[in-house]
Amino acid sequence: MPYKYYGGVHPDYMKAPANKTPVTAIAPPKQVVLPMMQHIGAPNQPLVQVGDEVKVGQLIGSNPAPVSAPIHATVSGKVIAVEPRRHMLGDMVMSVVIENDGLDTPCEDMRPLTPEQLRDPEAILARIREAGVVGMGGAMFPTAFKIAGGRGKVDTLIINGAECEPYLCGDHRTMLEHPEELLKGIELVRIAQGLDKCYYGIEKNKQDAIDLLNSLNPADYGVEIIPEEVKYPQGAEKMQVKVNTNREVRPGEIPSGVGCNVVSTYTCYTIYRACYEGVPSIERVVTVAGSGIKEPKNLLCRFGTPLSHIFEEAGGFVKQPRRICMGGPLMGICVADIASGLVKGAAGLLVFTEEEDREVDNPVCIRCGNCIAHCPMKLEPIYLYMYINKGDYEKMEQYHVMDCFECGSCSYGCPGRLPLTHTFKMGKAMLTAKKAEDKARAIAEKANNGAGKGAVSAGKEGNV
Amino acid sequence: MEEKTVFTVSSNPLIRAKRDTTSIMLDVIIALIPALAVAVWQFGFNVLMLLCVSVASCVFFEWGYRKMMKKHASVGDLSAVVTGVLLTCVLPPSAPLWIPVIGSFFAIVVVKQLYGGIGMNFLNPALAGRAFLFSYSAIMTAWAVPAALKGVVDATTMATPLSYLYAGAPLPSYFNYQTLFLGTIPGSIGEVSVIALLIGAAYLLIRGVITWRIPTSFLGTVAVLCLLFGYEGYGNVEWMLYNLMTGGLIIGAFFMATDYSTSPVTLRGQIVFGIGCGALTVLIRYFGSYAEGVSYAILIMNICAWFIDKLTRPRRFGETAEDAKAKKAAAKAEKKKAKEAAAL
Repeated sequence: MPYKYYGGVHPDYMKAPANKTPVTAIAPPKQVVLPMMQHIGAPNQPLVQVGDEVKVGQLIGSNPAPVSAPIHATVSGKVIAVEPRRHMLGDMVMSVVIENDGLDTPCEDMRPLTPEQLRDPEAILARIREAGVVGMGGAMFPTAFKIAGGRGKVDTLIINGAECEPYLCGDHRTMLEHPEELLKGIELVRIAQGLDKCYYGIEKNKQDAIDLLNSLNPADYGVEIIPEEVKYPQGAEKMQVKVNTNREVRPGEIPSGVGCNVVSTYTCYTIYRACYEGVPSIERVVTVAGSGIKEPKNLLCRFGTPLSHIFEEAGGFVKQPRRICMGGPLMGICVADIASGLVKGAAGLLVFTEEEDREVDNPVCIRCGNCIAHCPMKLEPIYLYMYINKGDYEKMEQYHVMDCFECGSCSYGCPGRLPLTHTFKMGKAMLTAKKAEDKARAIAEKANNGAGKGAVSAGKEGNV
Repeated sequence: MEEKTVFTVSSNPLIRAKRDTTSIMLDVIIALIPALAVAVWQFGFNVLMLLCVSVASCVFFEWGYRKMMKKHASVGDLSAVVTGVLLTCVLPPSAPLWIPVIGSFFAIVVVKQLYGGIGMNFLNPALAGRAFLFSYSAIMTAWAVPAALKGVVDATTMATPLSYLYAGAPLPSYFNYQTLFLGTIPGSIGEVSVIALLIGAAYLLIRGVITWRIPTSFLGTVAVLCLLFGYEGYGNVEWMLYNLMTGGLIIGAFFMATDYSTSPVTLRGQIVFGIGCGALTVLIRYFGSYAEGVSYAILIMNICAWFIDKLTRPRRFGETAEDAKAKKAAAKAEKKKAKEAAAL
């Protein structure tokens, strides 16, 4: 019986019609743009030069730092540029641009693991790392590092199949179309984590998937399916931990602090392919939907595919879109430029027109308290909003602005249309900057006091 | 597709719930229609006139003040209309038409707009307006005879059931559960019919405009206190039921105390607020020189709302009770240290 968490909202889920039709693989585009930064951590160094011939799955970017995930070529062909290009999320990022020769010549570097290796935690972990697997739910945290970092601390592994965001249904389709592969992938993560058992939390609005997975004896893979309440943000890491174990991740910590690791559904499927088929992380299912899309559907896309190409495959735009986002509509991040290439964490590409625009010119708080009732972190958005706008750092800290993980529930349910989530993002940045400034100032003062005149210049530097 | 590849970016979320301030206010207006209908049926045309004048003057003052002060227009959110309707509800049905004009001015301009408008006022505008109007106490305490009692009562005005209850006089036979429930009794325009108010309250609860916390704790406290401290001449249960059904308690609990601006926003705070309203209501009814306790109880608790919020902050996610205790102890120790350091 899953536990409950406080707050949350119930948006219209809008999963149909995309969740009713099978995933279609789209033809690889003529050109892919692969940013060297598709994960949280150290950016990759390009390993290829303009003019190099590459094969599908060939390693083209890596970094020896532990928190990183290598990048592989997603089509075969010729490297035509290695230069900074616009990342989906806005920054200019060093990217490798490959012209597709249309042959899809596979690279033989990565072989399926042998049956013995498939039982060996170290071999699986090494493969997860070299296949460039990151958190496919959107966080893009290197999975191998997460698993390795949790060893010795983590006693509960949770696989996240909540898919609580509206529109998104790629995980749901994967459960239905590749249930056995998915269970095998989960088993691999479980073995790599060194545990006998794990939970697979799935929201009850995917009953068909729950039934199908249960019919395949998940216990044989060491998996227990946990049907979960349908509520946003059920799929947030902290909520998954709470729901499955009744533990609360402590402020400022990650789930491994309370002995849990959370891995998303599509990550497990990607790991299955890397281990059983020897295919690195080169493609994913993307839900393309929203009021601005003609034919909402799930598409299997290679990374680096220009977003405009993906939209064309979904019938194009109904009308001029207002905003396009990567991920779900509540936590998703706006995409500025659709010429940029698809990255690993994009579970959805949603196109919204002015239909979804509910912003108003003069947002006014009416003190209805909905934000407090909705905040899964039990914050008081109404007061936080006030203090951030006042620039009151002390109160911001007292009201725990840093606890906010920006799920958007407060803004979603605000009848006064206040930009709550936006303000908290700002507040977090302000507080972080303030703390860094204070620290620098303290160091400078210390240096000044300690070294007398000689350190004056150092003190000035510290203030900058 | 080539023509435009760059789009607007903004913070998440990109979707928002349909419900906005205007629709909430509209729901409150809809919820008050049954009570107003009963009032028109019992007290006649003057009720409709009062309603029109009250709403019109509230909207006018809201519009005029915002215009004069060069603030963005806010009449579109319908909150001024709600104030107008609620103000009508707390007026006696025979009041002259200039009464709501004065009440509206005080409610909208002094209580609401001077403090920054919707969401910023700390007193319930309609109740504060009524409290102000009590400077005309003769008008504000003249209770017209409802249509159902014409002929039974041979006068133009009569006493309310609540005043009978607290005068120690036995209730006349025409004040019974049935008439109280239906609303064929004298009283303020919106307070008389329990059934009409409950229909409206159910609508608000179903629509999610209000939650159960404030009304339940308010009514529950009154019920418990009345059960515990009965009154001579009445059975305890009978006394409790009469107390619940009279004196504007129902409209107060569901429509006035739940006013967003003037009630706490924390969930525990709302329960504390309701209990406070209930306790003060009973206190005023038992010991006050004037039996009508609900409106003053709510006004007094209104003043405490922000303070209650501060006292009832939710437990931080990820912080156990022990963590919180340890933190408190640490803060205390630090304070002590600072004091000692200062003393030195």
